[in-house]
Amino acid sequence: MNKLTKLLSTITILLLLQSCGDDLPVENPPRGDYEHGYFIVNEGPFSNGSGTLTFVDNDQEVYQNVYKSVNDNEDLGNIAQSMYLHSNSAFIVVNNSHQIIVTDRYTMAKIAVIEGTNINNPRFFVAVGNTGYVSNWGNATDPTDDFISIINLETNTISGTIEVGEGPEDMLVVGDKIYVNLQGGYNQNNKVAVIETASNTLSTSIVVGDVPNSIVKDSNGNIWVLCGGKPNWTGSESVGKLVKIVGQSVETTLDFALGDHPEHLSIDGGKLYYNLSGKVRGLSTNDTMLNTDEMPGLDGNYYAMKAENGMLYTTNAADFASEGTLSVFDLSTSTLSYSLSTGIIPTFISFQ
Amino acid sequence: MKHWIILLFGCAIFAQNDSIQQLDEIKLYGNFSKKMTAGYHVVILKKDSLKTTQHTLGNTLQNNANLYFKQNGNGMVSSISMRGSNASHTAVYWNGIAINSTLNGQTDFNSLSAKGHNQIEIRKGAASSVLGSGAIGGAINLRDKIRFNSKKNLELNASLGSYNTLHLFLKSKISTPKLYAKLSVEGNKSNNDFPFLNTSLLNENGAYYNHHINAVFGYRINPKNKLHLYSTSSYNNRNLSRSLTAPSNAKYINSEKRVLLQWLNSGKKYSSNAKFAFLNEDYQYYLNKTNPTHAVGKSNNIILKYDFSYLINRKMHTKIGLENKFLYGNGSNIDHKSQSNIENYVSFHHQPVNKLNYNISLRKGFSNIYKIPLTMAFGMTYQLNPTLNIKSNISTNYKLPTFNDLYWNHSGNENLNSEHNKTAEIGIQFKHNIIDFTTTTYYSKNKDLIQWRPTNSFLWKPVNIQEVSNYGVDLNLALKHKINHHLFEANFQYDYSISKDNHLQKQLIYVPFHKANSNFTYRYKTLIASVNTQYNGFVFTTTSNTQTVNAYWLTHLQFYKKLNTNLNIGFSINNLFNKAYQSVAYRPMPNRNYNLNINLKI
Repeated sequence: MNKLTKLLSTITILLLLQSCGDDLPVENPPRGDYEHGYFIVNEGPFSNGSGTLTFVDNDQEVYQNVYKSVNDNEDLGNIAQSMYLHSNSAFIVVNNSHQIIVTDRYTMAKIAVIEGTNINNPRFFVAVGNTGYVSNWGNATDPTDDFISIINLETNTISGTIEVGEGPEDMLVVGDKIYVNLQGGYNQNNKVAVIETASNTLSTSIVVGDVPNSIVKDSNGNIWVLCGGKPNWTGSESVGKLVKIVGQSVETTLDFALGDHPEHLSIDGGKLYYNLSGKVRGLSTNDTMLNTDEMPGLDGNYYAMKAENGMLYTTNAADFASEGTLSVFDLSTSTLSYSLSTGIIPTFISFQ
Repeated sequence: MKHWIILLFGCAIFAQNDSIQQLDEIKLYGNFSKKMTAGYHVVILKKDSLKTTQHTLGNTLQNNANLYFKQNGNGMVSSISMRGSNASHTAVYWNGIAINSTLNGQTDFNSLSAKGHNQIEIRKGAASSVLGSGAIGGAINLRDKIRFNSKKNLELNASLGSYNTLHLFLKSKISTPKLYAKLSVEGNKSNNDFPFLNTSLLNENGAYYNHHINAVFGYRINPKNKLHLYSTSSYNNRNLSRSLTAPSNAKYINSEKRVLLQWLNSGKKYSSNAKFAFLNEDYQYYLNKTNPTHAVGKSNNIILKYDFSYLINRKMHTKIGLENKFLYGNGSNIDHKSQSNIENYVSFHHQPVNKLNYNISLRKGFSNIYKIPLTMAFGMTYQLNPTLNIKSNISTNYKLPTFNDLYWNHSGNENLNSEHNKTAEIGIQFKHNIIDFTTTTYYSKNKDLIQWRPTNSFLWKPVNIQEVSNYGVDLNLALKHKINHHLFEANFQYDYSISKDNHLQKQLIYVPFHKANSNFTYRYKTLIASVNTQYNGFVFTTTSNTQTVNAYWLTHLQFYKKLNTNLNIGFSINNLFNKAYQSVAYRPMPNRNYNLNINLKI
């Protein structure tokens, strides 16, 4: 549905409701066109272009170029990487424009741009209370200048930085701590950095496996880190690992076979899911061994993958020079529920 | 900025190929000469249209020969697409030696200078069997001519343009009946920080500097033997400019050095040409120019080439050639790789009747790495009547895999094969009084084109997979009219090209369907005024053909005034209508800009 029609019909319904007298229950007015559904962040062409946002509402209606259409035809920026929803705002990390675009999370209207020398090759965003955290590679060829920028969310300005090891990527908030995967950027790292949000300091770096690429927490507050291992082309290939962290120490490590490089760990309903060589595998958080069963019907080198509410959301970047696709599978039956066209290189999925 | 001047100082910008023959004083027929190009359309840019140009080679060709270039921003890396072919399917030669990069197979037309050379020969259409790998969309030869004729001169050309754009060119030539020496030095420098129209941004990090040195020597040992030595050195230091959405701090330095020694020996019925060449290319890429970390790459080529022409009789001529190449590449992504190949060709030219001449050629090569296919070509020109010629050719062609394709660390594929092409074309040329009109239509089929594809875990690898069909039409019209002291010249060129990926059934990205160019020149005594207008059709930027870079019109104006026999001054306005346009998506090109130049010849 066209957004204007949607808005007009909403207004009409509201007017109708009002004219019907006081005895009818008044629903909360919608907070914006993008309140119910999820976003897909599309990187856009690798050079010479702009990333885009695709929105899918609860009726599976698809809206392309959401940011641009709401904000006066303005481009999102070059290589949109990820998105974080917090309070009433959305924070879109635009890697090669070296910017964080802040919008209203329901209307997607632009509020601010966070940029400066302390946003350099930004990757991911998380927030705790009134403070935001951005993982940054710095200069991609310099392994020693990587950092987390600290953002004051009241003013949307950078208030400081915390130095971390090479290649900070995905981050996870657990209570008053932030766990940062040090994936390694252009190289390969093997740690998870722990940030204390009370003092905004690095408390420790936990050695996990090589190339930690995704991180989730289960309902007991345990942290699961999936490490892809060093790829073959590095000349020092290493095994992938699934690492369970309790507090600030590694409790268990499950090793993959040499040559297997898993990625895209996510959690839904007490079950962990990840992708390995184009197949999806799952295991329970109580399992003490890796399950080698592949989920039937779920084949593909997914560019992004996320399990949510019994569904598995996967993206395919096709030839990386045209529109990608999103396919959603029912996890209970491993069947395709629906698929749709996205922007160019769909890299991240973010649920309202 | 001076890169956008069009200049028609001198005679018509493309003379047809009959003018070449008389230049060959000895009976050696170059691969762009009439006898070797029966059935092909050849365009020659002569020195008059080159000597006062302030441009890079790419802009000179775009403004004069209607060729399409994909420029990654003004002054940045520029690649060609001739007849809808891809960037490595135009073979570029320097005095007959192939100079496309050993590493990526392409030529950066903003790294080469048009000016140091006497003429630029453009041969449209596929001709691998005579020219070798990559001559599929067409071929371009940068030519230095050596003449032993007791002349000497000194030329100086200086210009100043918007955004601190400076250009200096000095050329000196001495020639005696025995000796020839030419030295040219060119330097260009620009801040290149024009504003992006309709935005608050500037073309940040766009500054560039380059220089080109050419030295040519000739020694006439006796009427039968001559030695030629050509050498060139160029250096380009460019910051890579920002785009509309991304700042940049990158820098790219590339240099080329080339030496060619040639021994020409000729008799009454034969000529022989032995060449030894050494080519070196080298680049350094800084992702962040303030950080010393950078990627490097270089290649060295040693080329031994021998061509022998034999005049069987006045109507028949045959040429055989042998070329041996030793290639070496090394760098951050290629680890000391080398290969050698040898290629042979034979060509036969015949004029059975006055009205008809044709050319047949055959080529086969061998390499220690890949298979070089047998290729052949047949071309003919038939004169229907004194004003009308028909030209046609049919050929099979190839392009060899590049070092990047074969050897890129972790990704290169040493099992790659050559790319294959088949082409047919037919055209007419009509010449009458003031009109010179040529039109050609072509059809070309490419298979086994090398494409980099993502594999499991997103490591990209090249494979021989793509199939592309190209077809289209070229039109060229030149008019020349003189009334008393008033000389009017007009050139109009239009190209229509379809370049379709046969699997996707979509047009290739960055190949315009439509491209047109016109030049109008008016001369009166010591004054010359010219206007160049170009139309670049839209291009697709996604392989699904859903997004485009818009079409644009561009107009440049140029005035010249001859102050005395030695001195003239010029003024030009580029992008006269201040159009916002892009060659590559999100990379705006310069707005209206000015250039003042002074040219001295003694």
